Amino acid sequence: MATSVLLACGLNEQKLPGFVHISEESNVDGSFLISCILGQRLRISNAGTLLVCLQHHYQHYFNAGMRLGYNTNIFQGKTLGVIDVLSDMAGQGLASKWLRHPDGQNLTEQLMEDIRSQVETNYASRNSYTVLIDNLSILFNLGATKLQVQQFCQDLAALSKERDNLTVITKLSNSDIYQLTDNNVAKLGQVRIQVLRLKSGVFREVDGKLLIERVLEEGKFACEETRKEVLYKVNDRNVKVFTPGEIGVKV
Amino acid sequence: MTSFRKRTVQKPIRGTRTSPHTAQVITSSGNPYLDVVIGGGLPMGSICLIEEDRFMTHAKVLAKYFLAEGVLSKQEIFLGSLDDIPAEMLRRLPKPLTDLESEVEQREEEQAAAGAGAENGLRIAWRYNDLPLVNSEHATAKIGHHFNLMEQMDSIMLYYANTTMWDDSHKEADIVIAFGDELSKSSSPTSCSLEQQPVENAPPIPGAGEEIIQEVKTKEDQFLLKTSEEQLTYIHQMLRDMEDDPPIPGAGEEIIQEVKTKEEINANNNNNSSTTVASSTKTASQESQVFHNARYGGLLNDIQQLLRDESFVAGTKKNLCRVCLTSLGSPLWYDEHFGEDLIKFLTLLMASVRNCNSVCLITMPMHLIAKYDASLVPKIRQLVDYAIELESFAGSEKETHPAFKEYSGLLHLHKMSALNTLAVHMPDTTDLAFKLRRKKFVIEKFHLPPELQESPKPDSCSTSILSNSNATASLDF
Repeated sequence: MATSVLLACGLNEQKLPGFVHISEESNVDGSFLISCILGQRLRISNAGTLLVCLQHHYQHYFNAGMRLGYNTNIFQGKTLGVIDVLSDMAGQGLASKWLRHPDGQNLTEQLMEDIRSQVETNYASRNSYTVLIDNLSILFNLGATKLQVQQFCQDLAALSKERDNLTVITKLSNSDIYQLTDNNVAKLGQVRIQVLRLKSGVFREVDGKLLIERVLEEGKFACEETRKEVLYKVNDRNVKVFTPGEIGVKV
Repeated sequence: MTSFRKRTVQKPIRGTRTSPHTAQVITSSGNPYLDVVIGGGLPMGSICLIEEDRFMTHAKVLAKYFLAEGVLSKQEIFLGSLDDIPAEMLRRLPKPLTDLESEVEQREEEQAAAGAGAENGLRIAWRYNDLPLVNSEHATAKIGHHFNLMEQMDSIMLYYANTTMWDDSHKEADIVIAFGDELSKSSSPTSCSLEQQPVENAPPIPGAGEEIIQEVKTKEDQFLLKTSEEQLTYIHQMLRDMEDDPPIPGAGEEIIQEVKTKEEINANNNNNSSTTVASSTKTASQESQVFHNARYGGLLNDIQQLLRDESFVAGTKKNLCRVCLTSLGSPLWYDEHFGEDLIKFLTLLMASVRNCNSVCLITMPMHLIAKYDASLVPKIRQLVDYAIELESFAGSEKETHPAFKEYSGLLHLHKMSALNTLAVHMPDTTDLAFKLRRKKFVIEKFHLPPELQESPKPDSCSTSILSNSNATASLDF
């Protein structure tokens, strides 16, 4: 289903790197990566996952998961925790805590607090724990500043360093607009996946390009990186990857 | 005890069907050609952005189709605009065609196409005569209705439509009226402004309904003298209720009695109006905290109030709400924090629309927004599910260019995202053009006309359209 794309990204392992960042260019949809990673984490026994829904509702991930062959509802409340910011805002309207900041905390601080409390509740009973944040750019839309988002990501990175087997995966849309934040957040982690559109136009057999950058040696002087480029096509029930040159124009 | 369970098939929402490709519940956009482009229709919970053409002619036509489809499918409609008068816009919705009329029209078109082919009579490439005609206009599966743009919808149809309008002109009245959760939705002042007009112009319903309408009209006149909008709303609310249960002779008296009872309740509620104002003030303060421009808060509040109705709760399959916002982000919305407020509003709108049985169509003057702040364009497109740009030829060089003489403009698909599914539908081609005919708005594949004369130099305009802007860049695959 989604094994090939996860293999290409190096995320098809039980132990994931501490911080992974997905940069999504404008006019490209990289939500399929979140669905693929979520499915892979849920399949591992006793691996906890926290899904922070900022771009799509939980229902979207449930439906996308069903297409990829897993049912999130089975795991919800057990190994899967959900912070559905969008649903809360829809239900509470303008009185939602994400808009009103009742405790004097800003949006990112509130979100961080919720994530921390979820991690503290569930981390101890799990072999590993993954925090998936589906779109950081929504935080900008809701009024968070660049500094606040940067601080939020640094807190997340610190959280992943505090605990073994804790992985934080973030995604940022419109990375070409929020270039500074995107680069700063990517520097916090070991793996950066860029979802890029095809510069040459729309092609029926390929949706876009994945550029995977991975820091090879961690440490004080880590500077060696590998870069891998693959093309992807999201189908109805799977995601296919191709190496550049594999697909050509059929005459 | 057996494991047998009787299979109960849930009745689908009026005007919707399940897409065979994505298994999603979809509804028609009102225009069958647009439906084909987006994969059968708009999925439930989706937002479609129509990027307006410079003179706002064609985007408005699509908005009218969207609204007309909602009226015909008996769905709830929310129409908000600062630039247009919503009541006026609703009054000018296109007239629906009957099945017979649409069949006749389709047959006439086919005959015309066949006739044109026979007249041309291919002599050299005569073998092509045997091939079926290529129809660049896509046919569509039956989901929505067909409309005639030349004629206007009957006022009686509009009279029974469940509509809520917003144009920011009745703010004060809204505060006074909103004294109860149940009534606040129907008692929106703008929701009755549409219905006031058709009451006068509406033709009488044949049969027993006539008496009731007459009585209600008389009562309405009395109320109008009192200039009480709340009382009017009650009558219209009851008329809506009557839609489900067809009127029976003699039932009019009961209705009038009910009106009187509600009138009494209303009078009692007026005594408690101070608490209403307080709660509304609280809402207003919330709006001002979230948005710098209070109009966004007001509009969002009205939409959310409507969408919170139990008939639109996701999974209940009772009814669908169509939210239509025209010319959002036009200069009338400008202020110091325009970009910030607009993006926040769209984010919250996205959250609300996706959370219930609703679809949303927004038209925005993107060419103006791009001039205000170019970075807003991708941000806005990211917050919608479909972004469709209408590039009209009106007022441009292309208007008189022979390559475009058949079309009114080009249609650019900027974004189609996968909502509640993994893969997105891709149309056969993304080279699309539209033409506004006398009776309908047609979207078809863009074809350049055959070059019959030898031209000394290549046509720079036509070649630039088909070639990509980054033609010099190497292919990615």
